[in-house]
Amino acid sequence: MSALTSRTCTQSSFRPHMSTIEDLVAAGAISRIEVELSGRQQAQRLLYGTPDFIEWLRKLVDGAEPESCLGQATAAEQVDQLFHLFISGGPLIHNRQFRYIRAEENAVWELKTPDTRIFGWFIKRDCFVCVFGDWTDKVKDHDLYRGYRIAIRRLRRQLNIDNTLCVQGVDPGDVLSV
Amino acid sequence: MFRGWIQVTSFQFDIGSRARNAGRFIGRVRNELLRALSERKKEEKLSQQELAKKLEVHRSLINRQLSGESNLTLRSLADLAWAMDMEISFELKKPAIEAGQNQSVTTSTIGHGQIKYIDGGKRRTLHCDKLVIAPLARGESTNL
Repeated sequence: MSALTSRTCTQSSFRPHMSTIEDLVAAGAISRIEVELSGRQQAQRLLYGTPDFIEWLRKLVDGAEPESCLGQATAAEQVDQLFHLFISGGPLIHNRQFRYIRAEENAVWELKTPDTRIFGWFIKRDCFVCVFGDWTDKVKDHDLYRGYRIAIRRLRRQLNIDNTLCVQGVDPGDVLSV
Repeated sequence: MFRGWIQVTSFQFDIGSRARNAGRFIGRVRNELLRALSERKKEEKLSQQELAKKLEVHRSLINRQLSGESNLTLRSLADLAWAMDMEISFELKKPAIEAGQNQSVTTSTIGHGQIKYIDGGKRRTLHCDKLVIAPLARGESTNL
């Protein structure tokens, strides 16, 4: 999925003011992402995704893989493991599993697995919106960090998202509770 | 709602129980290694560089193994635990099923063709519920 051709970023004819997560869900701008939790686990954190990101997840479920895999697990298994860890409230390792792209207001963040990169932002503490998913190799080879960062900032403007729907700090503790 | 979008309020990312077990187990092993190394780093300032020196390998190999970019064999897992002066505890057990807990999705459609269990979901894949890397007591040997 390319940042420049993303349908999410080009549709902006109607811009109601979005001040709650429910507004965004009701508008179809984001959907809740769930993974199976084992035993008595309960969701401790929330994950959302844009329609294009959900499409990317569907391709993963259908077996999409990068040209060369780094990880022992498949790309889909890596993402499931990361999502499970995130949603179940497990500890994520800063820089290795998540990091901000640039220290700024309303920062864009990246979730990482060996073969995939997921870009989005923390709408609230412990609540992440996934906007773009891509292969690690492609992101690094084409240096797509800036492009995805700009595309996500543009998407938030187009959705008319309230500043309260964006975590301001870039300290790991600002976005995730342990 | 934005014109042309199909509204989906929730999406279940379901890769099937077999793939899920594999991915989460591999992830759990790596997270446990990272946790153990972080603990050792705090206690004894044991760095990746020192681990590499002890194992006589390049530091980048240790980094790739810990990040999941390089395969982790049972041998390399045992070596890393040894270099951190930790022991590995490994156990396979039947999952405990209690009333009211989440139920596994019992189909798999990824990589291995569709697998569908037809016994009402009672059959479940065995999985390792416990993998702990803990400091070795003096004179104790590593068992895996």
